Amino acid sequence: MRAGKQVRGVAVLAAAVVVTAAGCSTKAPDSGGGGGGGGEAGDVATDIGIEGTTIRLGVLTDLTGVFAALGQDITNGNTLYWQGNQVCGTYDVELDVQDTGYVPQTGVQLYSGMKDNVLAMQQTIGSPINTALAPEYEADTIVNFPSAWARTLTEIPGTGVLGATYDVEIANGYQYLFDQGLLQDGATVGHIYFEGEYGENGLAGSEAVAEARNLTVIPAQIKSTDQDMSAQITQFAAAGVDAIVLTVAPAQTASAAAVASAQGLNVPILGSNPVFAPGLLQGPSAQALRDNLYVSSPITAWDAQPELLEQYQQAYPNTTPSLGAIFGYAMGDVMNQVLDAACESGDLTREGVLAAFGELTEIDTEGLLVPIQAFETGVSPSTQSFILRPADVPGGAQVVEDAFEGEIATELAG
Amino acid sequence: MTQFLSLLLNGISLGAIYALIALGFVIIFKASEVVSFTQGSLLLLGAYTIARLSGPYGFLVAALAGILVTALAALLIERLVINRLRGAPVISLAIVTIGVDIILLTELIRRIGPDILNVPHPWGGDSVRIGGVGISQNRLIAMLVAGVLIVVFFLAFKYSSWGVAMRASAEDGEAAALMGIRQGRVSALAWVVAGVLAAVAALFLVGAPTPGVSAAVYTVALRAFPAAILGGLDSTGGALVGGLLIGIAEALAAGYQEQLSFLGRGFGEVVPYVVMIIVLLVRPSGLFGTKELTRV
Repeated sequence: MRAGKQVRGVAVLAAAVVVTAAGCSTKAPDSGGGGGGGGEAGDVATDIGIEGTTIRLGVLTDLTGVFAALGQDITNGNTLYWQGNQVCGTYDVELDVQDTGYVPQTGVQLYSGMKDNVLAMQQTIGSPINTALAPEYEADTIVNFPSAWARTLTEIPGTGVLGATYDVEIANGYQYLFDQGLLQDGATVGHIYFEGEYGENGLAGSEAVAEARNLTVIPAQIKSTDQDMSAQITQFAAAGVDAIVLTVAPAQTASAAAVASAQGLNVPILGSNPVFAPGLLQGPSAQALRDNLYVSSPITAWDAQPELLEQYQQAYPNTTPSLGAIFGYAMGDVMNQVLDAACESGDLTREGVLAAFGELTEIDTEGLLVPIQAFETGVSPSTQSFILRPADVPGGAQVVEDAFEGEIATELAG
Repeated sequence: MTQFLSLLLNGISLGAIYALIALGFVIIFKASEVVSFTQGSLLLLGAYTIARLSGPYGFLVAALAGILVTALAALLIERLVINRLRGAPVISLAIVTIGVDIILLTELIRRIGPDILNVPHPWGGDSVRIGGVGISQNRLIAMLVAGVLIVVFFLAFKYSSWGVAMRASAEDGEAAALMGIRQGRVSALAWVVAGVLAAVAALFLVGAPTPGVSAAVYTVALRAFPAAILGGLDSTGGALVGGLLIGIAEALAAGYQEQLSFLGRGFGEVVPYVVMIIVLLVRPSGLFGTKELTRV
């Protein structure tokens, strides 16, 4: 009879498994490569990440974690952009794609493996990973584009948040609900959010709007691995919420919508841009989402970009085009504007690229993203958002309100 | 009150699924004294098989195939790994199962990739309202099925010759072997049963109100661990009570997050472990576990 003795040992082992499971990741085959080289193309100074006429950019994405669907699409967008474009008409761009599995520790490890070979970071997915890498990015004078919109990211020198931060984004979403008469002053809203930068920043938006419009906010924090939103929605239903706000991933969006409709809670659902994935429209909660979901987003929808859609579908015929792919393409565009500017000033070193990044203003991506004013420390780079809704179009969403600025957006932007 | 009942019902339905997984741990432990950490990946294997096959072959065939494949995988793990290491310290065997789990899990995550796979349950996302309390049909059916399965296994342990053989092997392997009990067979059957239970749990776990098969389904098995341990690792009744306790505690902690906010937000996550620790402090062998006897 040895049950008692082993129970405690097993408890320790269980904890160990939780830790190991969280650390699992796979590595993309494409890694390694040459170091820095001298300036061969004309009089442009170079240091790290350029060999001959090839620029190497890093991509730290999520191909196996909670944002895997988004990560894959953004990376496809990055790749598609650089297949068709050059820097300064001279340099081709090669991407070093690595999978973090949305685990910050893995991200830090992968970055230390690639940092001596890349000029800049085309993509770093996830607020926690960007935050974890912030000191290194700063020390290495790296220009980086996160596929995340947390306010804290705007504090990192060289990191360019491409659109409004989550607080401004959610505030713009509320504005749309107010404007459409879907929500009134003094209402009660329930906000489900991830622990960490992403969720907290989204919640900050809700709280700012609540103060301005006299709302009551019921916050419910969850972990990114939580799948079942029953308890949270039950709590909201009991409080009689007039709207549900989500700063989560698509899986939780599906669950929240399904539970809300099961409980007869038929209210608008407002989401930060990462809550939506086209695959949701094939699941059991599709109808609830079509009826009630509004997404505030810095990225336009595919129905506004038919040419890019055609190009994308040719390059990736067996994938569902999502917003992530548009964003990935736009990220390439902004990076190219930075690198072009650096190249024109004759300095494609990391320092030169960082300087060009800081001087960029009024960034226009031809409607792919909301207009971006500039990258200033601590300030939301944009005050505008698109409003999207699920629809039976490629990408699963369409623009119902073009890029606009809500009432408290400027105040929130900092 | 409606909120409380709704959370309670939701907690019970979640707890029933935890109980199925916890029962798998218990059965393997009783038969072979091995604590198996493979339940998480077996669960995901079941879910993945059901989701992949339900497209071409329909839900029913896929569900049966999923259960079969998972049971087979469990049998293979037992035959190819655990059985060959018989006699090794049980703690080493537990570590070996962690290794097997990680291998299987990594491959499954690679296969699932970025998708969320939908399983077309015939009952879909429909829900039933009992009084003011709503619950998805999927969870309701899960509760019934879990209840039936647990009763069946409970009876099997008590009265079937397999159950007696299993209890005898767990009690004293050598004496059981001398009495003619084929321990290898007992252990193999236990793993098959644990595989079946994992697949059945998976079948319901990937239905409403959760969104389908994604790699995160794996983490549910980790929450069934404290359930099995606090119930008493060698007690089938304990698995049931432990599962329900954890499910209810988790649902209530998440649902009353606002009132519990002095404990920090996201408290629902740690509740299973807090409950486990409290129970173990009071009863080191778990609620229904066999007490350790030491003769001096």
